[in-house]
Amino acid sequence: MSNSVNISVETTCENQIREIAYDGTELYQPPPTLSESLAKCAARIDFSKTSLDNIKKEEKSAAAAADDDNKDANQFQESLWPWDAVRNKLKDAYTEICVLTDVISIAKDKRYLVLDPLLEEPDDTKPIVQVYSRKKAISQAAQVLLGGAERIRNAHSEQRSRNVSDFHIELLRLRQNWRLKKVSNAIIGDLSYRTAGSKFGMSGTFEVTKAEDALDDENSGNNTGGSANSSSSSSNNGMQLKASSALRVIVPSELQGVAYIKVITQKDQEDLCTAQVNLMGHGQNLTAQVGVWQKTLEFAQNVLFCKELFAQLAREAIQLQAPIPHVVIGNQIRATLLPNIQLIISLCHSTSFDSSQPAPINDHDHVLEHSLHQLLREVHYKNSHHPFPHPASAPLGPSKKRMLAGPTAADRDALLDMTKTQTILEQIIAQAQHIFMRKRTQYVLDTLARDVKDPQIVSHWNAMNSPTMSCVKINIVTHGYDAIGRTSLVIHVKERSLKCICRDGRVMRLSYEPQELRDLILCQINSHQISCLVSLARCMAWTVLSNSNHLGIGKVEPLGNASSCLLASPNSDRMIAVQIRCDPQIDVKVYIARSPRQDFFPSPLVPEKFWENLGGNFKEVRFDKIEGKSFLNKMEFLMASLTSNTA
Amino acid sequence: MGVTVLQPYPLPEGKSGAHIIDHLAKRLLSLGATHAGQFLVDCETFISTPQHGTPARAVHVLHNSEYPASTFSIIDNGNGKQVALVADSIFDLLMLKMTSTFTSKKQTKIESRGARFEYGDFVIKLGSVTMMEHFKGILIEIEYRPCVTLSYCWEMIREMLQGFLGINVAKEYPTYFTTQTIMNAMGQQQLHAKQNDIYEPMDTVKQYLEHFTNYRKHVQIHGAMGGGASSVGTVGGGGPGGVLLPSSVGMGGRS
Repeated sequence: MSNSVNISVETTCENQIREIAYDGTELYQPPPTLSESLAKCAARIDFSKTSLDNIKKEEKSAAAAADDDNKDANQFQESLWPWDAVRNKLKDAYTEICVLTDVISIAKDKRYLVLDPLLEEPDDTKPIVQVYSRKKAISQAAQVLLGGAERIRNAHSEQRSRNVSDFHIELLRLRQNWRLKKVSNAIIGDLSYRTAGSKFGMSGTFEVTKAEDALDDENSGNNTGGSANSSSSSSNNGMQLKASSALRVIVPSELQGVAYIKVITQKDQEDLCTAQVNLMGHGQNLTAQVGVWQKTLEFAQNVLFCKELFAQLAREAIQLQAPIPHVVIGNQIRATLLPNIQLIISLCHSTSFDSSQPAPINDHDHVLEHSLHQLLREVHYKNSHHPFPHPASAPLGPSKKRMLAGPTAADRDALLDMTKTQTILEQIIAQAQHIFMRKRTQYVLDTLARDVKDPQIVSHWNAMNSPTMSCVKINIVTHGYDAIGRTSLVIHVKERSLKCICRDGRVMRLSYEPQELRDLILCQINSHQISCLVSLARCMAWTVLSNSNHLGIGKVEPLGNASSCLLASPNSDRMIAVQIRCDPQIDVKVYIARSPRQDFFPSPLVPEKFWENLGGNFKEVRFDKIEGKSFLNKMEFLMASLTSNTA
Repeated sequence: MGVTVLQPYPLPEGKSGAHIIDHLAKRLLSLGATHAGQFLVDCETFISTPQHGTPARAVHVLHNSEYPASTFSIIDNGNGKQVALVADSIFDLLMLKMTSTFTSKKQTKIESRGARFEYGDFVIKLGSVTMMEHFKGILIEIEYRPCVTLSYCWEMIREMLQGFLGINVAKEYPTYFTTQTIMNAMGQQQLHAKQNDIYEPMDTVKQYLEHFTNYRKHVQIHGAMGGGASSVGTVGGGGPGGVLLPSSVGMGGRS
């Protein structure tokens, strides 16, 4: 042996300690020998897995195990057990392979065993079963289809047979006309005017439900509102409608029934004119298409509208300071238009459905009715529409007129006018006053035109006028002498006064007393007669010596003064003096004088004869006996007869 | 809104302005006029810095209590051309923003303030003109409300003025209404008679501006000559620091 270095090679892993002796020596468990490790590996083989590699490994291990078994047969008895199992399995496998080899060799011989391919056997089900199963499946499908068709047929026949259509079609129609929304399970609608600008506190929500049976409809329709159960309170105006709807609307109890606002102008307990304000008869006629709920909702909306209108009027009546205060009692407002004339606005709300309604009062004033409706609608409109400022940075609020007031240099009066607003009550009082003044003026003019026949009084009323002012043009003409002369005047009828503008530019302001207008017209007739006479005299070649509209002679009359005219014939031998007084009757006095005077006798004081030409006394003519249709006619005849034929 | 004519009243020696105004007011009241509030017309001028080639431009901003919602302004471009504007009261705030281009000459803030009388169809205002607390003169404004053309009512206004003022008013139209030559649409020069035009509120304001300019010029003249009791302090920038006139909004502000 050469000097070689001993190299110790150790495995890294230490062996397990089997025992520690009392003296400290450790007995290590010897590491497993190769055969032991092989045995362990063989034990891990899983013979249930049949793979070629495993089989090869098994063979190898089996060979190794056989060698090892021979070596270590005595020492390790435990290792025989894994090898035992392995050996048995291998033995079985070997047996099977031998059998297989034998079978294959026999089959190859083809004398005792033949290998034939296996035929695919058909399913072992009988055709009849298949037919049955198919029939059942098809019948089930048919059931489904038939059920669906039945439902559709029923729905169609229902639509055709009954008047009222399906709930959903009705709901669609309802939704086309009213605002609806779905809140959890219920359908709630709104019939108030809130989206139109109303600020009224009363809510106008109604509920929509499915209708019950037709019988229930009839029975519950008799119950008036306020009941808590949800199937009643269909207010159909007291009439038992046979046709019922698929849906029902439930309106709040305070909106049930029919309401209208009645406007009466009263003169000491006597009804002069009346107006009914309600919304019925307005809007499209939908009742032909839709069910009874449309009427219900329209009535309820009408009630809401009337309540809002009345509440607004009542509030204003209390707030306004009028010379004679307005009185609000219950559902009636009393306002004084003129002394002794009162305006009564009342809210009539009937919840009982009696078909005997009070007969409509004949003297409807549609103007007041429409006006109240329009005024409230205007308030709504102003609430929702604000004029847009130009430029957009300007404050939002002033009206367009006020915004233009700066650049157009509006003066203080114009600005003050812009700030004045009138409440609904003030406006309707002004309109009612004007209507009353107009009626009174018409009455005065008509009675005068009827009573005074001689000059004819023709009045032309303007077709276009405002709610608070009308104009009438009066022409006073004598029939047959229209070309000679005509007196015209214009009267502006305002709320409490009249303004009269004559042709010569005089402006007179009259109060609401009818007597003042009558007096004025009589005076105008007076001056008309004289001025026409003056023109007529000119036509007849008579000279007008003088005329006067206001003579200060005679007794003091309550009404105006006498007017007069003095005429001379063409060759001055006759003189006519006319005096017209406007007493309650037009009183005409005509006097004639002739010159030379018949009763002149020369006296020592006045000896010359030519003084007889100075003109005689005036003698009265019995004017009513003169032929002629009118005053001017008579005067014409008189003048004609007095014109002498001397050259 | 009718034809308005301004008439400066010559101050007799020895009498103070307030005394004269009192005297005239008594005359009017004895004639039968009714006292109807106060009036105020004021004018503030803004000057732009003159650059080379272009003269300084002036913007005059006027308020008239008779038209409380409006502000009048006239631009003078230094060459005699004037552009007038009627605007909402918010125009004053716009002018505040223009301080970079236009500086306010606070010393020349001038106003006419006094009593307002209504006499039938006439409105007569007795105004004392003051500039920075210095009294300048008396300016009478007379308006004849029913008419809008001067040539129809000039004689009547003249008669009225002569009647209660006691001074001689010239027969010719006031200087503002004299016939001017203007270029018409076809480029020709044409004589334009201003007395036949429809009268506008802007004309009143322009007349006021004319008279105010005269008062300012008188001050300049007096200042240059070194005399005059009431002419101190315009060129030298005296007087208290001016307060910008607040924009006149609201109708009752001036009555």
